[in-house]
Amino acid sequence: MDILVKPGSHVQWDWYKSHEGREVIMSIMHRNLHQRKVFGLLERPSFPPHLAPEEYRFKIFVCGKSGVGKTSTISKLSGNEVPSIHSETPGIQTTEVYWPVKILHEDKVVMFQLQFWDAGENALKKFDHVLPACKDQADAVMFVFSFVDKSGFEDLPQQMSRVIEPQDNICRFIMGTKYDLHAHSEITQRDIRDFEQQWRTPVLRIKNITDYRQTELRGDLNEVAPILNTICEHLWHREQILQGRYSIPVEV
Amino acid sequence: MAAYLLCLSAGGGVPLFTRTKGDLKPLPFPVIGSLNGVHMFASTHDVSLLSTTTVDAKVVWKVFHDSITLILVSRDDNASDSHLQQLIEKVFLSMVLVYGLDDLTNIKNIERFKKEIKVCFKLVDSLLDQADLDTFSDLTDSVDVVLGPENSILQEYLDAFVEAAASPYGCLLVWGKVAVATRKWWSLSSVELVLLSLLVNSLPKCSARDIPIFLPHGSPKVPHRLLTFQLVQGVEVCVVCGPTPSLAELQREVDRFWRTAFEYLKSSTRIHPRNFPTSILTDQSILGFILINRESHRCLCTVEPMEEDSSRQGKTMSIYRRREILRAFYKSVVRTIFTPPQSDMDSTETADTLHTRLKHKALETYIVSETHKCFAMNTNPYELYVLYSIHIPTYALRSTTTKLLSSLIKEKTMQV
Ligand SMILES: Nc1nc2c(ncn2[C@@H]2O[C@H](COP(=O)(O)OP(=O)(O)O)[C@@H](O)[C@H]2O)c(=O)[nH]1
Ligand SMILES: [Mg+2]
Repeated sequence: MDILVKPGSHVQWDWYKSHEGREVIMSIMHRNLHQRKVFGLLERPSFPPHLAPEEYRFKIFVCGKSGVGKTSTISKLSGNEVPSIHSETPGIQTTEVYWPVKILHEDKVVMFQLQFWDAGENALKKFDHVLPACKDQADAVMFVFSFVDKSGFEDLPQQMSRVIEPQDNICRFIMGTKYDLHAHSEITQRDIRDFEQQWRTPVLRIKNITDYRQTELRGDLNEVAPILNTICEHLWHREQILQGRYSIPVEV
Repeated sequence: MAAYLLCLSAGGGVPLFTRTKGDLKPLPFPVIGSLNGVHMFASTHDVSLLSTTTVDAKVVWKVFHDSITLILVSRDDNASDSHLQQLIEKVFLSMVLVYGLDDLTNIKNIERFKKEIKVCFKLVDSLLDQADLDTFSDLTDSVDVVLGPENSILQEYLDAFVEAAASPYGCLLVWGKVAVATRKWWSLSSVELVLLSLLVNSLPKCSARDIPIFLPHGSPKVPHRLLTFQLVQGVEVCVVCGPTPSLAELQREVDRFWRTAFEYLKSSTRIHPRNFPTSILTDQSILGFILINRESHRCLCTVEPMEEDSSRQGKTMSIYRRREILRAFYKSVVRTIFTPPQSDMDSTETADTLHTRLKHKALETYIVSETHKCFAMNTNPYELYVLYSIHIPTYALRSTTTKLLSSLIKEKTMQV
């Protein structure tokens, strides 16, 4: 599914910094406001009743070569500690990420529950049940490349066609990891823009490093908020299309 | 414990991977080559080189299935060689657990193997972690448990849940230690019990997992699936099953089967870091202990038996130091003074250990140092190793240890 919407088309971008936004964000943060809470499957963020947002759940399959940074990216997005040593992920691991956004047109707050599915490359090749389990009822696929590997970037179109069929109605995202090393990158901003336009797919960027100066709430959230906003906005847009609400997309 | 672990192909001596623990420089290639070379030289002369000791380090070698050589270099702690031999054995079995015996003993493509074997790094690293771990199972060959007052209720929830998974194998981990498990789970070999808990604890935090595993004793060549679900923070339920149900299918059942257990699960997490109920009173001078049941393959360990009030903090021994001392004490006693535990690993027992020369079985031993005292007691099937502060009179060590043991094992509803 080709979706490329302009940032801020559905989602109020800096809402999490507003007074109302902070109140909702508190529900996913530890009391010290430095760290996000981890929720077990039986746990949910809790809100004062007047704030209780609608909940939407989406499944996102994260795929890409071994060592490209899939597991680190999910740790970063979920507020978990980013593993410092590379170890191939055995089998499948799933991670729930809660992210509240303000939907502009409807003036309502929606809590997105994003379920990321991560599978080691080895497990995908060796065990037949892994790929179908990851793709089953997925709402989106995130294709991961790293900014230090140009050939991986160039391989993205093939990778996309291998994993998704055109009729799948699946949302696509591209995630570029190791953006902190992008000074050494042969991939230019121009390449990224061209790719987005040609494939009508948003390209996100992430630095999966722990920056010790950023111990404040703002530090962690400022990094992940634009990424999570983009993901939620595209999933929201897809939802509207699937329900036949948008005849003319608000795309760029 | 600073250590190097080297893995080479047994045939060609090609380095497959190395792991280091602690702040060590990587071993230069020629050193790796010589370490392997001396072992190969010996074997071409029909000599098996098992171990050696240098000024400050100890080296052990072991070849597995003529396919893989493991070499472990570690600081010499004056303990019996057999502890390192057990460790190297466990490293191999953990490779079997996540990678499978067939692919380990039949390496067709070395480059591919090097990439794929990374899948076991987290587990192998945790075996080298030693006192950095807050469990002792890697050392005691019995799995860490917690004795929570909620355990008997949680057992019912677990039994119902595994039935939904159409699998008899299930366990509930509270902060990485077994709170309850099904009867079948307890029938796994002690190494399997230990490695499964360690595996779950060594992997990055997440909500659910579906991991192919090869049970080193039960099914080393045919994979099963280990499914885990984080119910509440600190509590994970694990199930070992066959091709069905899928991860998503079983995850849909989680809410139905566990929702009403929510409060029990929450309160079970509060047993940490004491790991046994406050209703069992312990002496002030106890800084930590390891209690092992050799029959059930379980151990109950703690280094925080009492809530330290903040005014005392800094004055008492650090948590890390307590673990370190308990580990060292255990190693100095087991397989030297005490007879070795029955183990399901084929270990090469070195002949010159004290217990083989003793005419009787030693049942108790103790040490007194400038900073602490330790007492160990062996009353089949239990072994108890206790770390005491320096303030306890030496004559009281024995009676206090006996009292601790009887209060820990008298509870009929919660058993180690
Ligand atoms: N500098 C840097 N390193 C990264 C980044 N993302 C991942 N890494 C490193 O790349 C290696 C592989 O990451 P991992 O997430 O395990 O890859 P996966 O196999 O795709 O799951 C690890 O050593 C990470 O520390 C990043 O954004 N910047
Ligand atoms: Mg990974």
